[in-house]
Amino acid sequence: MGLMQTSRVKSPWILHFDNSSCNGCDIEVLACLTPLYDVERFGMVNMGNPKHADILLITGPVNRRTARVLKNLYNQVPDPKVVVAVGTCASTAGVFHNCYNVLGGVDKIIPVDVYVPGCSVRPEAIIDGVVMALQKLASL
Amino acid sequence: MWGDRHMLEQFILVIATLVGAPLAGGLLFGIDRKITARLQGRYGPPVIQPFYDFFKLLGKEHIAVSRLQFIWIYGYLVFMVVSLIFLVLKSDILLLVFLLGFAGVSLVLGGFSTKSPYAHFGANRELLQIMAYEPVLLLFAIGIYAQNGSFLISEIFKQDKPLLFSLWPLFLAVLYVLTIKMRKSPFDIATSHHGHQEIVKGVTTEYSGPYFALFHLAEWYEIVLLLGIISLFWANPLWVGILIALVAFLLELLVDNIAARMTARWMVRLSWSIGLLLGVINIAYIYLTKGVS
Amino acid sequence: MMAIAILLPVAAGLLILAIRNYYARNVVVVATSIALIVNSVLLSINGPFTYTPDGVNWGLFITILDYAILLFYLYIGFTLRNWLVVIFAFTQLIPLAYFEFIMKAHLELSPAFVVDHLSLVMTLIISIIGSLICIFALRYMYDHEHHAHLTKSRQSRFLFWLVLFLGAMNGLVFANNLFWLYFFWEVTTLCCYQLISHDRTQEAINNAARALWMNATGGTAFIFAIIYLYATQGGSSALSVQTLIGGGMQASVVLLPVALLCYTGFTKAAQMPFQSWLLGAMVAPTPVSALLHSSTMVKAGVYLVLRLAPAFAGTYLSIAIAVTGAFTFFATSALAVSQTTGKRVLAYSTIANLGLIIACAGINTPLSVAAAILLIIFHAISKGLLFLCAGTIEHQIWSREIEDMEGLAAKAPLTTLITAVGILSMFLPPFGMLLGKWIALEAAYMVPLAAIFFVLASTLTIVFWTKWLGRLLQVLPKLGWPMEKLSLSYSAPLWTLLVGIFAVGIGVGPIYQNFLLDATHNVVSGNQIFVIGWNNLVLTSASFIQRDILGIFPIWPLYLILVVALLLPLLLIGLKPTELRPVYLCGEQVGGTDTDEWSAEADQKTKFLLGGYYFQSSLGEKKVNPWANTIAIVLLVIMIGCGVIVIC
Repeated sequence: MGLMQTSRVKSPWILHFDNSSCNGCDIEVLACLTPLYDVERFGMVNMGNPKHADILLITGPVNRRTARVLKNLYNQVPDPKVVVAVGTCASTAGVFHNCYNVLGGVDKIIPVDVYVPGCSVRPEAIIDGVVMALQKLASL
Repeated sequence: MWGDRHMLEQFILVIATLVGAPLAGGLLFGIDRKITARLQGRYGPPVIQPFYDFFKLLGKEHIAVSRLQFIWIYGYLVFMVVSLIFLVLKSDILLLVFLLGFAGVSLVLGGFSTKSPYAHFGANRELLQIMAYEPVLLLFAIGIYAQNGSFLISEIFKQDKPLLFSLWPLFLAVLYVLTIKMRKSPFDIATSHHGHQEIVKGVTTEYSGPYFALFHLAEWYEIVLLLGIISLFWANPLWVGILIALVAFLLELLVDNIAARMTARWMVRLSWSIGLLLGVINIAYIYLTKGVS
Repeated sequence: MMAIAILLPVAAGLLILAIRNYYARNVVVVATSIALIVNSVLLSINGPFTYTPDGVNWGLFITILDYAILLFYLYIGFTLRNWLVVIFAFTQLIPLAYFEFIMKAHLELSPAFVVDHLSLVMTLIISIIGSLICIFALRYMYDHEHHAHLTKSRQSRFLFWLVLFLGAMNGLVFANNLFWLYFFWEVTTLCCYQLISHDRTQEAINNAARALWMNATGGTAFIFAIIYLYATQGGSSALSVQTLIGGGMQASVVLLPVALLCYTGFTKAAQMPFQSWLLGAMVAPTPVSALLHSSTMVKAGVYLVLRLAPAFAGTYLSIAIAVTGAFTFFATSALAVSQTTGKRVLAYSTIANLGLIIACAGINTPLSVAAAILLIIFHAISKGLLFLCAGTIEHQIWSREIEDMEGLAAKAPLTTLITAVGILSMFLPPFGMLLGKWIALEAAYMVPLAAIFFVLASTLTIVFWTKWLGRLLQVLPKLGWPMEKLSLSYSAPLWTLLVGIFAVGIGVGPIYQNFLLDATHNVVSGNQIFVIGWNNLVLTSASFIQRDILGIFPIWPLYLILVVALLLPLLLIGLKPTELRPVYLCGEQVGGTDTDEWSAEADQKTKFLLGGYYFQSSLGEKKVNPWANTIAIVLLVIMIGCGVIVIC
């Protein structure tokens, strides 16, 4: 892999956004950042700023309001970028898929690269999903 | 001094600095993250992580919010490099402080060059940071003059007694400034390296991709410059000064992990009381004992 | 030639007063300006000389005009019911009459005018920058009256006083006879009053009256200094400035009048505690602020202090002047941070820089005097430019508030560019103002307290300039800003001054060596600045035995770096429409890329607003003025006390 490709894999910066989840998956994402799982050893840093991010970690099902916000954030992330839908709600809206305000999973609004099912997702699974996303990033 | 060295020697020194300083700076930042991680009971990224970050940013899409951003980030980088070159060529330290000031102002104006709330807050806070550390740095330059009778850095190397003995109050004040300039708690107020979400990314919120990479590059030059300034306190032999600088660097990491972020107001107040007091007492003492050279 | 410098503006002014036609008047003003500029350059090439006018009894003429002016002040005081003006007109009239009739003073002295290099520097500044400002005033006043819907044009009157003022300033810097200097001094005060009160609003008249009485206290001190000198030194020869500074009189006796004259200079330069008159003068139209209150008239105050520097060299008075000037520099820089009006920031900055120049005169070494002269020149150019920019901005957005100037870069890119360069030139390397400040700091250790004030003030100047420039730059993400059209009357002076900043800044080495060094020698002997290599300015220590190097400033390399760092990215890096992104509003923005609206509660569209930081609770006038004015008054008393006490 070239220098650029290696760097992209070795330095994935995260933007974590919660659509309307119950925060269960969010807590698990945060757990990844703690010393117990320590994703910073892979170079992952949670940048709160889309303009600095490579990987979007999205949780929760999309509703009308957050659809707009999600689109805005996605547009502000510079290429190359990958989207990881964390949790069942983000993937397909899960148990909420028929609710009157829910539009569906994240892929109704933006293209998703990796789906990580679970309710709520284990940190190990999240890390697995991000690693898969990184491999995709390297090929972009 | 300008006349002493051969032009070629100076040229080689400048090139070596231009190439070597970012490498050293990046490594220092990597070591920073590693040690911080260990202090927090985790493994932390590899030591060359900053370089991965830099190249990744270079490969990002070229986006921006306004054309004005480009001017100021280049201003920040170029004047930071120029300040370092001034240090390496042993030129005028007062002018060095002013050039560093230009770099700081450039960064602030970069934050101001878009109508973004977070960048606005970050820029104003960065300005407050400048207001906090600039008097101490200027007093430091005057202190050197008071002790040596010249503002030239080359004169520091000609003294037999290290500056640390006569300028130790200023040394303490400069350590305080180091915390602010390295953006370590309790003074990581305007922007900082980790995910501090209070004002998103502050000054650098609207920068992305290659231009954000330039910001990191400038920071690498800056850390080498700052540690270089600290090593001036023990210039003969220089390796002792560099050792002191590295110890100060490690001390900053310790402070960063112990302290919580404070308010900008507290930072300015502390600097304008204790920082100024230390500087003024130091200079007054030298003035009264040595007179004017 | 000297007569042209002084009398041509008078004649031209009277002519202007008579002309009603806009275009004819413009021609006269432009012609006068060109004549003045050429004249001043010819004078400089000619070199120093002395001159005493014979023929007409000028002395009598001047004395009569003096009384006329003072009586006019009385008239103003009575009509406005401003008793301070009345009092301070009397405190000048009565001693003047006493001097004239009871002491039967003979005021003839030769030479009446001494034009040395310092005077030449001043007249170049007055003629060139003053003329540019007069040209700016042509279109400015037209737009000003247009906007105010004035039916009867008063531009003739305005231009008359503006041009007359240039003549008075020239006379002031050439005069050797203190009494004649006093006359020219009073004429400038008169012009100041007329120009500040031009708009005839209550506020303008009040502020003009305040300027009048504060400057009148200075005039009073002037008269007392003259009388004291005449009485103690015996005769009119004592009134020669050259004799005063030449060491021909006993130092201990000379200090008191010199202290009084420095006090006069302080009032004219609006130092603390007199700063309120300059702040109040900002209500006047911008050319007034640019000409009188930044480039020229207030320079008369510092010119007087600098001219007298040899008379108080090496005394406690010198140290007192240095500390007082340095304190003003610090306190007014602090006050400037809290101002929300652009012109008030400029006013406080002017006072601050004048304090710096006075402090340099007080430090009284070859290095600091050179710094003072450099600062006078660079400040005149940069501040003149900034005031003209403020006027141009005001006539585009019709507001003087900094908050209204937000995002000016998108509405008026050209003006913003010029203003940005102007602001950067006030406090950043490698520009001339910073060069002067750098030299001043390197020289300041002689009076350490002054050095400490310099340090604090330098920090504060960074804050308020950057803050203001930042507000100008805050634009929304949009491409294609339309270039605004500026009339020639606006743009010619702006561009000339901008080029001037760079020309004088880059060429400061040769300019110093060939011209300014002589001006420094008019004040203090010795030289501590040398130019080596590619225009590197080298400062040496004062001892003549060891030429130890204090500091080095490589001018050309730094200008080159400036171009590379700022100009090249501006010109070379473009932005395509697809690369534009909105500002980060947590994703809540509504609208296109250049939107400034976001959806608040209940999905309501709300504009987001940004406000600058002004720190008014800690640095506002209400907080700072009480203690700053008190300290300033104490320092002034100490200063005059140092003149009274005979110990050197």
